[in-house]
Amino acid sequence: MADSQTGTKSAGDSRPMDIPEPKFNWMNQSRQWGTRVTPDKKGLTLDKTNVGIYGEVPQRWGDQGRNPRGAIPVKGALPIGYSVTQKTELWADCAAELYEEAIQRRWAPATDVPWSSIQPLPNDVEVAICQVCTEILQYANIDIEVLTNWQHRMSYGYHEVKQFLATASLDAARRYEAFRKRALINGGGLGLEPTGQANRFLLESRGGWTETVAGLALIRTLFVATVCEYLYKHSYNDAERVVYSFVIQDLARLLTYGVEHLKFSLAHDDERRGSVITMIAIGLGMFARDLRDPVLREALAIVFGGGISGARNEGMSIYYDLIEDFRERHLAMRRWLDLPADAATMPRAFRPRDQN
Amino acid sequence: MTSSKTNGNLPDLDLGWMDQHGPWDTHAEPGKYGFTLADIQIGEYGQVPEESNNQTGRPRGSKPRANSMRLGGYTVRTKSDIWLENASFLYEEALQRQWSSATDVPWESIKPLPDDVEQAQCQMATFLTEVEFVAGDVPARWISSTTPDYFEARQVLLAQVMDESRHMDVFRKRALANGGGLMRATGATAGFVGGIDLSRDFTEMSSRLHISGEGAVLTIFRMGELMAYNDAEKTIYRLCAQDEARHVAFGVMHLRYMSQNEPDRREEIHSYLDEAEGSMLTDAANPAGRLTQTSESLCILLGGGSDKFDEGFRKLVAIRRRQLQEYRKRVISAGFGDRFDNGRSRLNELMAQAAA
Amino acid sequence: MASEFTFPSLDWLQAVREVFNTTDMYRGAGSGRCDCVVGLKIEGAVFIVEFEGFGCTGVRQANEAELENVDFYLDMPYELWKSMLENISANNHAIGEFTLNTLDLGMEQGIAHSKHEDQYRQDLFVRYNQTMQFFFDASHRISTTFEEIVAS
Repeated sequence: MADSQTGTKSAGDSRPMDIPEPKFNWMNQSRQWGTRVTPDKKGLTLDKTNVGIYGEVPQRWGDQGRNPRGAIPVKGALPIGYSVTQKTELWADCAAELYEEAIQRRWAPATDVPWSSIQPLPNDVEVAICQVCTEILQYANIDIEVLTNWQHRMSYGYHEVKQFLATASLDAARRYEAFRKRALINGGGLGLEPTGQANRFLLESRGGWTETVAGLALIRTLFVATVCEYLYKHSYNDAERVVYSFVIQDLARLLTYGVEHLKFSLAHDDERRGSVITMIAIGLGMFARDLRDPVLREALAIVFGGGISGARNEGMSIYYDLIEDFRERHLAMRRWLDLPADAATMPRAFRPRDQN
Repeated sequence: MTSSKTNGNLPDLDLGWMDQHGPWDTHAEPGKYGFTLADIQIGEYGQVPEESNNQTGRPRGSKPRANSMRLGGYTVRTKSDIWLENASFLYEEALQRQWSSATDVPWESIKPLPDDVEQAQCQMATFLTEVEFVAGDVPARWISSTTPDYFEARQVLLAQVMDESRHMDVFRKRALANGGGLMRATGATAGFVGGIDLSRDFTEMSSRLHISGEGAVLTIFRMGELMAYNDAEKTIYRLCAQDEARHVAFGVMHLRYMSQNEPDRREEIHSYLDEAEGSMLTDAANPAGRLTQTSESLCILLGGGSDKFDEGFRKLVAIRRRQLQEYRKRVISAGFGDRFDNGRSRLNELMAQAAA
Repeated sequence: MASEFTFPSLDWLQAVREVFNTTDMYRGAGSGRCDCVVGLKIEGAVFIVEFEGFGCTGVRQANEAELENVDFYLDMPYELWKSMLENISANNHAIGEFTLNTLDLGMEQGIAHSKHEDQYRQDLFVRYNQTMQFFFDASHRISTTFEEIVAS
């Protein structure tokens, strides 16, 4: 029975309890009722939820809270302070698909890698592999810091991108873990700290996520993916092959997001073009300085050449093949993005061997 | 280093780096259940410094370069600020227990529900879509501020960001899967003082996020089976509860470490807990709190319809009491149980208010 | 004809453990690494079930005092144990009110307890809930007979 004074009524329970009269004033408030998304052979994927207003991704998301896209926003909430609020600053149409793909292709270094296949290697090879691991896990560390430094600044309206980046940062955590494990399992250890010029420009590109993506995807991710492809071809056991192949898959998703985002951003925001071109030029310059340091180059050459003796010719030759592959892929991506793609403008470290 | 070229255009090798490495002759061995992070905590590689001077982001145990630039800018570089004893274990557990909202939820089991129940489900799903990623955004920000010398703790937080991403996604899917839609947002995680977003210290953030915030949501997820109307919803709540329990475990273990190693900070931590208790039943971030749209939704779901609101309310009160009891025991487990003996805690008062 | 196992008994638990450890469906979503020691209190009988890594590593008969050392123990009236197992047997897995989580929520004091009152360890019941559920769901693959137990 309702109590007109308190708005409550007695529940008649063994334990006396005043039950508030419900208001139900939140009911019948939806911007689009009657939505029914259904799973298909891939399950109920995130992109399937983009129907009607729920799939309308605005050019600008001004809401400074965590209002889910398509919900009725709350008025008067104090702002959280998101700074990446324009679609052109982060969007890629493939983000939802990449998110689901990342989940389906998850792996665990602890149990999915046949670590027992690693057998003692010649000391020079082990030293070189451990150095390469040290470099890649340092790169992974920078990936983690770059991604997590931007995630929380991105508006909620672009949740697909935030969600994809959550998978990308966990991928980076796995890289960090897997390469550390490889370095410590076979009588070696971690090597010399990498030089890290390129790390600076990735961390210090505070101005825009799009510019950061230009460096992260077109330079860092592409380079590590290319290195892993070569390492896969020249691996010494099944454990390494498995690690490299999983990592290549993980990096391919980040690369796809990066390229697709840049494509979208450049197509919709002409003013970005200049800063992206500048960012790539600065990034390549810093990366070239890293490559002038002999450590990674020689370590890779030793791995590719099967030891120091093989490194001088065959190993180093394969290393330069790697650099050329990286350069050609990098330029191909720039062409795809309709950005200047003249090899002659690249730092010497990336030019063809006969021009070097 | 020589830049002279031999063998055509191939440079000679320097190789000086080969003698510069971390502790050598490391033979980490996989355990019975794979090659885990705990298995590589050996020798100096397992030694976590009380204070970290690592400002270059170098991997712990690698050989530092004297000329490396400081680029980390880490604000969390005191072990007790972020550490917990079982981080390695929680991380591995998280990787092993990942799941897919697209394919691991039996979406086809969802059948049309009475309109009031569907609206309540959708309102709860809207709320959970809104609040779950506060626990993604905020840990991400702290990850990028934490020295990699404490990478084990960072790895757990990276897994948490991924978990929260999946939670945000699975509740969005639920809202759109059964003829409903998203409803009204609550602004529960807006940028107010004392909110999770604005914490200035990691432990402060963790006590708000992991102990009070996620602890309360964990109870809701567990209760999810009582308000689930099909196997899909049961699966969602059960799997989310497992994830959430890991996050709560992080908070409990971190507070315990802090309690044991930083007695000078105990009073400060008690202040955070005072604050948490003060808003435990009124905070909009607790769906079992007093915010009409979430508490009434819960009553409908728990009771079985708007006409069984009273029955639902009694169950809601049971949830509130359970939240408070579990909070109490977690705080005791974390080493701050003295507040319940010395009269500082408001928990008894809150227990009495739970039925209001 | 398949052997029959009497619940509760060590033989029954060992048979369930065998099914749990060797059936792929119990490695699906929600499963994963699980390290904990669980007590089962079935009226007067006490058993310890140990999980380590990805499987159940041991079951043994125990006494009340040993419940001090488990992470948590499950305790409910014998009739409820029986109803839960019959539900599992009828549906190949627990449904409705007979999942462990729902049983825990449905009782005033729950079914998951600890002597040590350490919520961190007691939360393992939630952290590994699906694994616990899979373990008992595995009982549908064995033939169970029930023996009434005189409460101690």
